[in-house]
Amino acid sequence: MRLQAALFIAACLSPAAAIYSDEVNHIEFHHALLGAPSPDSTFFLKPSSSSNASLLYTISEKSIVGAVNPRDGSLIWRQDISRPGSAPSGAGILRGLDGNNAVVGAAGDSISSWSAQDGKLIWENRFADGAVADLELLELEDASATSGSRDTIVLTSGEGAGVVRRLDGDSGKTKWEHKDNSGDVPFQVSSSPSEIFYISLQSAMLKGYKIKVTSLDPITGRQNRQVTLNTESDIASQDSIFFVGANTASPLIVWADKSFKSLKVNVIGTKQINTIPIDNASGQEVQQITVHAPHRLNSLAHFLIHYKTETGAWAEVFHTDMKSSVVTKAYQLPYLQGQSVVATNNINANVYFTRVTDSEAVVVSSASHGILGRWNADVSSTDRAVHAVADVVTKGKSVAVRSAVIRKSGDWSLIRNGQTEWTRPEALIHTVAAAWVEEEDQEDLVHELEVEGHESLIGAYIHRVKRHLRDLQHLPDWLKELPKRIITSILTDEVSNLDSFGVAKSIIVATKKGRVYALDTGRQGTIKWSVQAEKTSHWDIKAILTIPGSADIYIGDGSSVRVNSSTGEIISRSAPTNVKLQSIATFEHQVGSSVVRVGSLGIQEDGSPVSLFDDITGFLVTTSNDGRVLGWVEKDNKSPVWEFVPPAGQKVIKAVSRPSHDPVASIGKVLGDRSVLYKYLNQNLVLVTAVNEQVHTAGFYLLDGVSGKVLYSVSRSGVDPTQPIASAISENWFAYSFFGDAVDESSAKGYQLVVSELYESPIANDRGPLDAAGNYSSLHDLPLPHVVSQSFVIAEPISHMAVTQTRQGITTRQLLCVLPSSNAIVGIPRPVLDPRRPVDRDPTSAEAEEGLFRYAPYLDFDGKWYLTHSRDVAGIQTVLSRPTQLESTSLIFAFGGDIYGTRATPSQAFDILGKSFSKLQLVLTVVALAAGVAFLAPMTRKKQVNMLWKAT
Amino acid sequence: MSILLPLLWLCHLANAALTISIPPSTHLPNPHILPATTHATLTTLPAAGAGDRDPSHILTTSLTRGSTLVFNDIPAGHPESYLLDIRGGEYVFAPYRVDVAADGSVMGVWETFRGNPWENRGAEKYVVDVAGAGAGKKAADVVVEAKVLGKKGFYEERAKFSPLSLVKNPMILMAIVALVLTLGMPKLMENMDPEMRAEFEQQSRASPITGATTNAMTGGGFDLAGWMAGTAPNPMTSAEGATGRETTTGSARKRG
Repeated sequence: MRLQAALFIAACLSPAAAIYSDEVNHIEFHHALLGAPSPDSTFFLKPSSSSNASLLYTISEKSIVGAVNPRDGSLIWRQDISRPGSAPSGAGILRGLDGNNAVVGAAGDSISSWSAQDGKLIWENRFADGAVADLELLELEDASATSGSRDTIVLTSGEGAGVVRRLDGDSGKTKWEHKDNSGDVPFQVSSSPSEIFYISLQSAMLKGYKIKVTSLDPITGRQNRQVTLNTESDIASQDSIFFVGANTASPLIVWADKSFKSLKVNVIGTKQINTIPIDNASGQEVQQITVHAPHRLNSLAHFLIHYKTETGAWAEVFHTDMKSSVVTKAYQLPYLQGQSVVATNNINANVYFTRVTDSEAVVVSSASHGILGRWNADVSSTDRAVHAVADVVTKGKSVAVRSAVIRKSGDWSLIRNGQTEWTRPEALIHTVAAAWVEEEDQEDLVHELEVEGHESLIGAYIHRVKRHLRDLQHLPDWLKELPKRIITSILTDEVSNLDSFGVAKSIIVATKKGRVYALDTGRQGTIKWSVQAEKTSHWDIKAILTIPGSADIYIGDGSSVRVNSSTGEIISRSAPTNVKLQSIATFEHQVGSSVVRVGSLGIQEDGSPVSLFDDITGFLVTTSNDGRVLGWVEKDNKSPVWEFVPPAGQKVIKAVSRPSHDPVASIGKVLGDRSVLYKYLNQNLVLVTAVNEQVHTAGFYLLDGVSGKVLYSVSRSGVDPTQPIASAISENWFAYSFFGDAVDESSAKGYQLVVSELYESPIANDRGPLDAAGNYSSLHDLPLPHVVSQSFVIAEPISHMAVTQTRQGITTRQLLCVLPSSNAIVGIPRPVLDPRRPVDRDPTSAEAEEGLFRYAPYLDFDGKWYLTHSRDVAGIQTVLSRPTQLESTSLIFAFGGDIYGTRATPSQAFDILGKSFSKLQLVLTVVALAAGVAFLAPMTRKKQVNMLWKAT
Repeated sequence: MSILLPLLWLCHLANAALTISIPPSTHLPNPHILPATTHATLTTLPAAGAGDRDPSHILTTSLTRGSTLVFNDIPAGHPESYLLDIRGGEYVFAPYRVDVAADGSVMGVWETFRGNPWENRGAEKYVVDVAGAGAGKKAADVVVEAKVLGKKGFYEERAKFSPLSLVKNPMILMAIVALVLTLGMPKLMENMDPEMRAEFEQQSRASPITGATTNAMTGGGFDLAGWMAGTAPNPMTSAEGATGRETTTGSARKRG
């Protein structure tokens, strides 16, 4: 008995079902995302002067600095440099220099330098006097620069004042600063080998701006001279200036006149303005002008101007005479229809321009118009390219080029010699909603079975025979496949193909930027299709609801879009209504082991349903924007049947209910002495979280959704309302987590996780007031549950909670927790979170048999519980779980920042022959036994014959 | 007051910084292998009533190239008692308690234990030298060492295929025993002294199982159904009689 108990404990304590290292990238996938790269701050860089390998660096629209391996597009490191305290001011800036193991990034008022190779911090600094407007790394060849670290010139713009500072490359300390109190708009900084230029915009008398260039001494920061260009007629705003040359031998300022007839170029530091007529042969209006110039000091003073019209683009290459500062046109790249992007880079002094168009990729030298390399582009994506960076390698006469192209959607792809090597789906970082695709074929079978169930016995039999005969047509194919299947299953090291058990599901995700994607969770989350459903930057998606064959996306303004779930084709759209929606409520009920949705309804911001729901039997619980919880019935959408108002000062922040698919395998809990504690199973439970931000308390209220009756409530003090408070409810238990401060010295400080279980009565084999009743009523004498709770201190915050779902609920559940501070998702096995664990004593043998073990206040997350193992899965907002045909397996999909998907097997994969099932061993055993039989059979036969002969 | 003044002066001079260094330890021999996502967090909740006076009561800093974690600007305004957590991938660090004075300077750093009262401080890592507060240089930059408690194992080990595991298979074990018996028995019999062998042979021939098998083989057919129904004579009775007799003779001889 004791041994049995000990074994049971061992079984419970043993890691629930951690991932095997050979299953990584097989049963799970991860898109580590940065967000759309910022065009001006994306570059190839050699992080080490000793190695020739270069990496791709960028800062994204989300202020995440990242390094990407150009070979396979994998993320090497990333750091989020946005500070929660500081307001973001546009896109961040990132700069780096070849051979210098540091990239310097700025977002808002903070600036930080990161080791380019491994992403560790070198220094960080914050400025009280405004946000960082521009940033340059000094490439000065002065003798004082001993180590490889280069100093940074940073321009901050505060209220009416711009400050230029030189920061030390090793410590980030300010070496000197130059303050400009003239009231000009600080614009940019630039440098030449001998000077640092501070460019500001001076308001002209009437309108427009004059460009003011202040030259500073790089060593002392003293002002040398000042040049003001009379440009007020051309420049209306900062956007009118196309380019301010960065670190080139002859830095430039480029702008155009208002009608885009001519281009003005000024070499910084001189007064001379070169006017170049725009030679527009296309006959179309020029929409966009971009300037591409090399960023190295020693490169030739050549640059390219790219003109883009509605349908095509062309480019012109110019040379600057260093002495006279005169700009002359060298040659032109022809006008081509379709998209076109140009990238520049240099090898020593030579400058190369790479142009990627719909049909081809071309490399030219800045010196002459001869084409050095030309490749046919493999596909012209519908997603337009907006920017590119290139890395050209020359070998004798031939050149090779790889260019990273940023597309309009934010996706990022690398094209090597015309071939697309990889694509990073960066736009997925904006994912706000996701839903599993319902497959049609499976529905067919379900439908057929339903027909059989409703027919007479003979009718059903005939129907089934017919169906099986129909299925025979697949037999030849199946037979043909069979030998291949057997051989591959023995030879390959693959885990058995489980696609037919519903583990390879597609999922539809929609992003804030109006894009809809379908990901295949069975094949490493590859994108099956993507479509731009709406041209917007803030798509207010409320829900995605899937039906077999299609998916409906509901928007906050009342409109909806229906897409085909296998092709992405937009089937229909509905017009917006004049009510603003807060959410979409769905009515679902469980049929067998699947959930059927009977209807859905929009909920207005004040919590009331937009319409009556007469045709649906059900009720509705909603939260209103003024912090109340409301209950509704079918016939009234004006006044709620009940209303829950938290105590004064508290505000409802969250309400969760049991998942619609939440099967209960056992209605009671069998104790060690074979008596039963009956679970309090109520379909209509709602767990409401309310906080008081002034006195730092949080209340957790368990309501009955039909009557609004409070079944249980608890209040916690010292709760930080600004930190995440997560909660989840399932079966007969609920859990919540918060940061609890030490109210006094004798209480604990830290994150807490509380788990509560509900029972019908505290006494075993007793159902309390329900007694032998088969039904209960929420409206009349609803019995209160007996609640058992235990709190644990955990090491980190939990931002979101979910519960694993399996087909029949027999498998142990896991509480899925998103850990935002270690970028992980952890699945805590339920037996660990049993509030009946004995406190301050060892379990009795009966308790041990139940699987209970001694309570410890600190719950350490075992490494084996981490679903994400050693991955860095950042920014997760929501975790979805879905049952599969296999009882042991639950599909997990997490989104919000990164995209992560895996399979959870909380009680281990007990119904699958996993990889550990050695087919080879089985075959060898059979062979060994067969050999033994073959060897022994003649011997035995001989012996028996002998025995018969010799016996008589 | 005499204590506060130099502290204020200090704070003005240089923003008091808290540096946590990660020394090599048995669990982490090379701190440079820590991932770039390693970071330290100072967490507390401003006293109730103080409201949202200072929203930045959660401070975070990233790992530097030198395997240190530096908090440069701890906000001043109110004395606070922070919980210091360090999170670095699979490595688990001990939590610390950091007490900060109203001016933002660090008063003391102690080890703390999760799930224990906050007053239950562990090993003292640093405490401000009240007597020597004048020697301000020390107090400006507080350096404490982080303590690695262990390493998380994320992966399940898969049982490897080995010939030994094949041998452990009960089927194979049974087969081996049977093989040994069949091959070994004749050898054993040969080495037996002839009298013994004769006796053994007779014994085994008369033994119930062999008897039954012989019966079955001779075609007499052991009528199991009949025997169970009690209609057929029990072959065991005869076998038993034979065995009994033989045994007696055997033992008699042994005695003799």
